[in-house]
Amino acid sequence: MDNLSELFHGFTIAVTVPHLALMVVGVLLGILVGVLPGLGAPNGVSLLLPLTFGMQPVSAIILLSSMYWGALFGGSVTSILFNIPGEPSSVATTFDGYPMARDGRPTTALATAFGSAAFGALIGVILITFLASWVAQVALAFGPPEYFAVYFLAFASFVGMGGAAPIKTVVALAIGFAIAAIGIDTVSGSVRLTMGIDELVKGVNFVVAVMGLFGIGELLVAVEEEFHARAVSSRIDWREVFRAVGRLPRHGVALLRSAAIGCWMGITPGGPTAASFMSYGIARRFSRRGRYFGTGEVEGIISPETADHAAGTSALLPMLSLGIPGSATAAVMMGGLMIWGLNPGPMLFVDQKDFVWGLIASMYVGNIVAVALVLLTVPVFAALMRIPFVIIAPLIVIICVVGAYSVSNSYLDVVMMLGFGIVGYLFKKLFYPLAPLVLAIVIGDKAEDAFRQSMLMSKGSLGIFFANKLVTCLVVAGIALLLLPLVLQLARPFRKTASPDADTPAQEKVII
Amino acid sequence: MISRRALELATAILTGGFGVAVVVQSLDNGIGWSSAGVDSGTFPFLTGVIIVAGSLYNLARGVVPGARLASVPIAITSIELRRLAGLFVPAAIFVAAIPLLGMYLASAIYVFAVLAIPRHQSVLRSAIAAAATALALYVVFERMFQVSLPHGAFAAAFGF
Amino acid sequence: MRGTSLFLLSVSAAVLAGNAPACAAWQPQKPIEFVATAGPGGGTDNIARAVQNIITKYKLTDQPIVVVNKAGGSGAEGYVYGKASAGDPYKVIFGTSNAWQQPLVSKVAFNYTDLTPIAAMAQDEFLLWVKQDSPYKTAGDYLKAAASGDFKMGGAQSKDTDEVLTRMIEKAGHVKLTYIPFKSGAETAVQLAGGHLDSHVNNPSESIGQWRGGTQRPLCVFSPKRLPQGAKVTATEGWSDVPTCVEQGLDIKQYEQPRTVWLPGKVTPDQAAYYVDLMKKVQATPEWKDYIEKSSQIDTFLTGAEFDKFIKEDLEHLRQVASEQGWLVK
Repeated sequence: MDNLSELFHGFTIAVTVPHLALMVVGVLLGILVGVLPGLGAPNGVSLLLPLTFGMQPVSAIILLSSMYWGALFGGSVTSILFNIPGEPSSVATTFDGYPMARDGRPTTALATAFGSAAFGALIGVILITFLASWVAQVALAFGPPEYFAVYFLAFASFVGMGGAAPIKTVVALAIGFAIAAIGIDTVSGSVRLTMGIDELVKGVNFVVAVMGLFGIGELLVAVEEEFHARAVSSRIDWREVFRAVGRLPRHGVALLRSAAIGCWMGITPGGPTAASFMSYGIARRFSRRGRYFGTGEVEGIISPETADHAAGTSALLPMLSLGIPGSATAAVMMGGLMIWGLNPGPMLFVDQKDFVWGLIASMYVGNIVAVALVLLTVPVFAALMRIPFVIIAPLIVIICVVGAYSVSNSYLDVVMMLGFGIVGYLFKKLFYPLAPLVLAIVIGDKAEDAFRQSMLMSKGSLGIFFANKLVTCLVVAGIALLLLPLVLQLARPFRKTASPDADTPAQEKVII
Repeated sequence: MISRRALELATAILTGGFGVAVVVQSLDNGIGWSSAGVDSGTFPFLTGVIIVAGSLYNLARGVVPGARLASVPIAITSIELRRLAGLFVPAAIFVAAIPLLGMYLASAIYVFAVLAIPRHQSVLRSAIAAAATALALYVVFERMFQVSLPHGAFAAAFGF
Repeated sequence: MRGTSLFLLSVSAAVLAGNAPACAAWQPQKPIEFVATAGPGGGTDNIARAVQNIITKYKLTDQPIVVVNKAGGSGAEGYVYGKASAGDPYKVIFGTSNAWQQPLVSKVAFNYTDLTPIAAMAQDEFLLWVKQDSPYKTAGDYLKAAASGDFKMGGAQSKDTDEVLTRMIEKAGHVKLTYIPFKSGAETAVQLAGGHLDSHVNNPSESIGQWRGGTQRPLCVFSPKRLPQGAKVTATEGWSDVPTCVEQGLDIKQYEQPRTVWLPGKVTPDQAAYYVDLMKKVQATPEWKDYIEKSSQIDTFLTGAEFDKFIKEDLEHLRQVASEQGWLVK
């Protein structure tokens, strides 16, 4: 095991007092930007970047990547407590995390999320350590048709689920696709669907849509029901943190499955967002308690969080070995690498062994530091739930407004965010599902680009999606996932004829 | 109060209107699928058509007296409507005031107003909360992360 | 009006070049915003941050500088923002040639005339790249094979610099290429490494890693003369070893992309002159040289009438290509 000795060498670089101190600083700063919606890891990383130019590259990347871990963890906090996902990849965490927190168990929800996130990240790092070169080869096999197939698979695993009125699901999905298409189209360079508003040429940012749909929308639903969080036990309960983490191994299957999905989507171009949605969708379909998903199920938190972090971690690998950033933050780090005079790419592993293995070792240590710090903060964050609604409501409004504004310093975004808030409320009230809408906004345009790039390559023939084994497998898997619920539904009347109607109200409630 | 049916109809009209706008706009971009690739308007056009068709279906279901829908005849009672307005109207005024007052002043006034006017908190505590909010925003965004929030037309007039 | 401002601009630039700091009549009184028309990590973002760092390090202004990314719509978001901020001398927009190219080929709501040109500060070169193990050794081999085969050329964005160059290659080399647009040069480079494309025309910095790593190599550079001598990229070759395309029989003498700096429209000549001077000072620092070398760009400084002439020529050329391709917006 050549890699193993390299790794030990890496540990000797990463585990030094100054580097551990940098990790703590990075993680804390990361948690802060992660918790504040509108500021994300890319903000923090790009602001720290200038400070790092005087440092050794390995110290600098340790600081930046620790910040990245902190931000990944922090992003889940607002998703769970206030239903405001700060990053696209933590949307799926809101589905069960928020109901659980609302149900009076914020500590459990947060601890579960952090525990499973750490597990996912760990699996991601292990993958990077041992399979770096293999993984790089896998990523290279992905051309436009394969990209499309991966996105298709993500949609298929998530959208095919029953629950909501099918036509409403279709409308929500189509609206998401249309929103994703707004702005300049990569493939043709032309401006689409700006509705006469010049500024819309930039497109509709995901954060703007989600702050409105989830944050403001949920706030409106809550105020209408005169919601008060069920009394959270008033003392800070440290034991519950450890109990929640201790219960994780019981969900071993979900953890492993989600980590596998996450790693796969992180290496392939799917990315953390697609990974978390897909993992949630698959868990909901295969879990024995799948029908309770959306009401605060533990596995509904574990699945997206594990996959998100596994993907986020393994997404750093394409950056290092190929020079393509797997996420916006990775892109900033890559810019940093170049300014430090390092060229990301295959030669980095040969030319800059200390750097690469120092970074990989710091991922292990950084994650442990991050999860320890973040678990310590759980009771503090959970205590936020005790603030009376009348005070927290205007604060959430301000957070959403500032968050929407700071995405690209645009007032229009703030107005749109408020508009999305009304839409979010109406949709929630009338059982239009929000999840497919959001998924389509996030990966709709990427899927469309990949599809049209494929059509350019194949001169308009769909045959390209069955041109080799890889893409055929992906497409067939997607179609199977899409058809599975239909088949099951068709089969159901033969097995059990009783009371489909009695189900509906209960089902309607479960819809996200 | 607002009936479930009215709400369904309104939403269907809203989504349908968006769908029509999408269809009309995408026609400008050109729709087609040939050996030269897929035109940029094609997919938006298709999604627009789906939105319109789906909205018409939802609209029809709303109009036709369906048994299922009637199970919850009233979607929003007048009390609920008042609560909704109580949250949304101040928020909308807050957003509308940002270009004039700037983020800091607008958010401070907003916090003060929603706490003090319905007498949730005393005037003093509301004022403290308002000042704290604006200060926290300033420190975190303007100072720490160098994200410049709008200062507003008033501040600009005084040269900030 | 425009003539006067250009005149003043070049006069003040000339005076400032003679090292007379007293003549900077206008000084910024509040924080300055650098608007990068690219996402974090992109070339335009890097230059904005490099300039920011240099200014901060040498305290070239007392005011803090904040970099804001407005990358939406291939950078159009940033330019539209600049247009909307007319008269505001605290917004400096960093872009490329797409400031004047984009309005020509797509219905964006700005034109470069809505902005005040400050300078073009660095030129990015373009090269023709193929996969490492492809059989073509020269641009001639490549063109010969492309004439009979169905070649896929990748590039960043549509109807932008990469595609314009692709169409020029088609014309000069009498071949037909299928152009496939991706989001960025980095993405394109990976697609080539994976064998999904036959070639691309990336800038040096976008593909240096892949060249060094042995997944792709440059055939020729679209420049009148070979690139300056620098450190070796691979064991045996450096940028200066790459032949020009003209040498290899692909008759495109020069094609490059300037990094441009703008102010919003309707600022005073004083204000524009201040930033011209500021950028000049930035360019004189060793850190700038370092940035230029690390990003494998060519150091230039065009301002005033020179810059204007450059834009006009480039625009004329683009208009020709665009009208042949039917890209011009009606």
